[in-house]
Amino acid sequence: MRDRAVVYLKLSPLLLPFAVIFSTGIFLAFLQSLGYFLPIPVQGGLFAAYRSLFRSLWFYQDFAFTLYCAFCSALLSVSVGTALAYGIWRLPIGLQKIGVLTKIPLILPHIAVAFIVLMFFSKTGYISSFLFQAGIIESAEEFPPILFGGRGWGIILAYVYKEVPFVVLLVSSVLKKFEYARILTAQMLGASRLTVFFRVVFPFLTPVVNTSFIILFLYSFGAFDIPFLLGESHPGMLSIQVYNLYFKRDLMNRPSAMAILVVMFLFSLVFIYLYSRLAARLEREGRKL
Amino acid sequence: MIKRVLLILLIVAVFLFPLIVLVFYTFAPGWSYPDLIPKILHTGGLQYVWSQHEKILRSLLTSFVYSLLVILCTFLISIFPASVFARSDFRAKKFLESLALAPALVPAITFSVGIHYLFIKTGISDSLLGVVLVLSIFSYPYMLRSLTSGFLAFGVEYEVCARNLGAGILQRLFMVDLPLLLPSIVAGSTVVFLVAFSEYFLVFLIGGGSVESYTGYLFPFLNSSDRAVASLLTLIFMVIPILLFFLVDETVTLVYRKRGML
Repeated sequence: MRDRAVVYLKLSPLLLPFAVIFSTGIFLAFLQSLGYFLPIPVQGGLFAAYRSLFRSLWFYQDFAFTLYCAFCSALLSVSVGTALAYGIWRLPIGLQKIGVLTKIPLILPHIAVAFIVLMFFSKTGYISSFLFQAGIIESAEEFPPILFGGRGWGIILAYVYKEVPFVVLLVSSVLKKFEYARILTAQMLGASRLTVFFRVVFPFLTPVVNTSFIILFLYSFGAFDIPFLLGESHPGMLSIQVYNLYFKRDLMNRPSAMAILVVMFLFSLVFIYLYSRLAARLEREGRKL
Repeated sequence: MIKRVLLILLIVAVFLFPLIVLVFYTFAPGWSYPDLIPKILHTGGLQYVWSQHEKILRSLLTSFVYSLLVILCTFLISIFPASVFARSDFRAKKFLESLALAPALVPAITFSVGIHYLFIKTGISDSLLGVVLVLSIFSYPYMLRSLTSGFLAFGVEYEVCARNLGAGILQRLFMVDLPLLLPSIVAGSTVVFLVAFSEYFLVFLIGGGSVESYTGYLFPFLNSSDRAVASLLTLIFMVIPILLFFLVDETVTLVYRKRGML
C-alpha cells in the first residue's frame, strides 16, 4: 500500500501538469463547443455547433481533404524514409556518413521547410527554371500548378521533406540491431534483392514503421504551420479552419471552432486505437506463417 | 556501384542542394526566373539583416531562453515518472505510460486552443510562463521516453549498491543516476530543444505577440517577394542548434573523460 503511494507521488510531477493543462485544455474546448465559458452567450442549445457542423458540406470536404493530405504525407514519408535508411545502411561503412545530410530538415523548422518548397516548386521556382533552361517547358505558365492547385501537393511535399529524415533516424536505429548475416543467408538461398528486403528485412522493421506512421499521420492531420503557408482556403486543412473561426471571424463562431477541435481529438483517439489493433493483428498473423 | 553513386547524388541533391540555393539567394536579392545561377550578386539582403540585428538577436535570445526553460521543465516533469515507468510494476502502468505519451500524438491544436481560455483568465497568456508551460506539455513525451529507456539501460543495481553504502536520496540522484543518465538527458533535450525552438503556432497563440520568437520574426519574410532576407534568416536559424549540439557533445565527452567513464 505504501509502495503504491510512493509510486503515485513520484508520478505526480507528470500527472499534475497533464491534468491541469492537457486534459483541462481538451475539456474546455468541449465545454466551449457546447456553449459554456464563452466571451458572449450564443443561442441555439447544447449541440447547436455540432448540428450546424454536421449539416455543412464544407466540413466533410475539409475533413476528407485533411485525411487525404495526412495519409499521403505519412505513407510517402514512411516508404521513402524506410527505403532511404535501408539504402544508406547497405552502403560501405565509410560512405554511410553521407547519411548525416538527411538530418538537415530535422533542424529546419516547419515554416522554413514550407519556404524551401515554395522556392523550388512555385511556377517561377527553381525546378521551373531548370525545366525552362532544359527546353522542356516554354514559359513559367506551362509549369504544372503543384502549389495552390487545390490538391494539397504543396502541403504533402513539405511534410514529406520534413518527415523523411525522422523516419530515416528511427529506422536506422533499428537497422543497427539487424544481423547482416541474415541477408547473406537469404542471398545464398537464392533470394533476389527485393525478396531480401520484403521478406527478411521489412518484417524486422514493421514495429518502427507502424509507430512512425501513427506519429506522422496524426501530426500532419492536426498541425498548423505548413498549411498556414502552403494551404488554400477551400478545400482547407481543419486546423486552418479552426484558426479562421477562432481568430478571424466573430465570436459567434467560437463553438464551431471548438466543435471541430473535439471532433479532431476524438478522431485521433479512434485512429490510434484502430491502427494499433490492426497492427497487432497483422503481426500475429505474420508470426503464424 | 552505379546504384551507390545514384543514391549519394540523390541525397546530396535533395538535402544539401536547397541549402546551397539558400546561400545563393542571400547574396542575390534580385535573382529571378529563369536564371539557374544569379546574374548579379549584391549584399542588399545582408545589409538589411544587419540593420535589423538588434531585433533579430533579441528574438533569437527569447526563443533560445524559452527553449532552454522548456528543457528544464520537461526534465523536472519527467525524471521521477521515468524512473517509476522503468523500475516499478503496478497495475495501471501500461495505461498510464501510454496516456502520458498522448500530448505528442494528439494534435497540439486540440488542447492548446482550449487552454488559451484558462491562460487568459489566469493572466498567464501573453507571457513567457504561458509559452514555456504549453511547449513543455507538448514536448515532454520525448524527454520521458528518452529518460525511461535510459533508466532501463543500466538497471537498478547501481542505486541499490549506493543505498547499501549509505547514500541518501539526493546523493544517489546526483552521484549515481544523473551521470549514468547523461546520454539520455542529452538525447531527450536535443529533441525537446528542436521542437520548442522551431514551433510557430503555439508561441503565436499563447505568446500573443508579446513574447517575441525567432519563428514569429521569420514568418512574414517567408511570404514576401524578397527571398534574400528570408533565406539568410533561415540559415541563421540553423546555426543555433548546430552550434549548441556541437558544444554539448564536446562538453559531455570532456566530462566523461574527466570522470574516467570513457
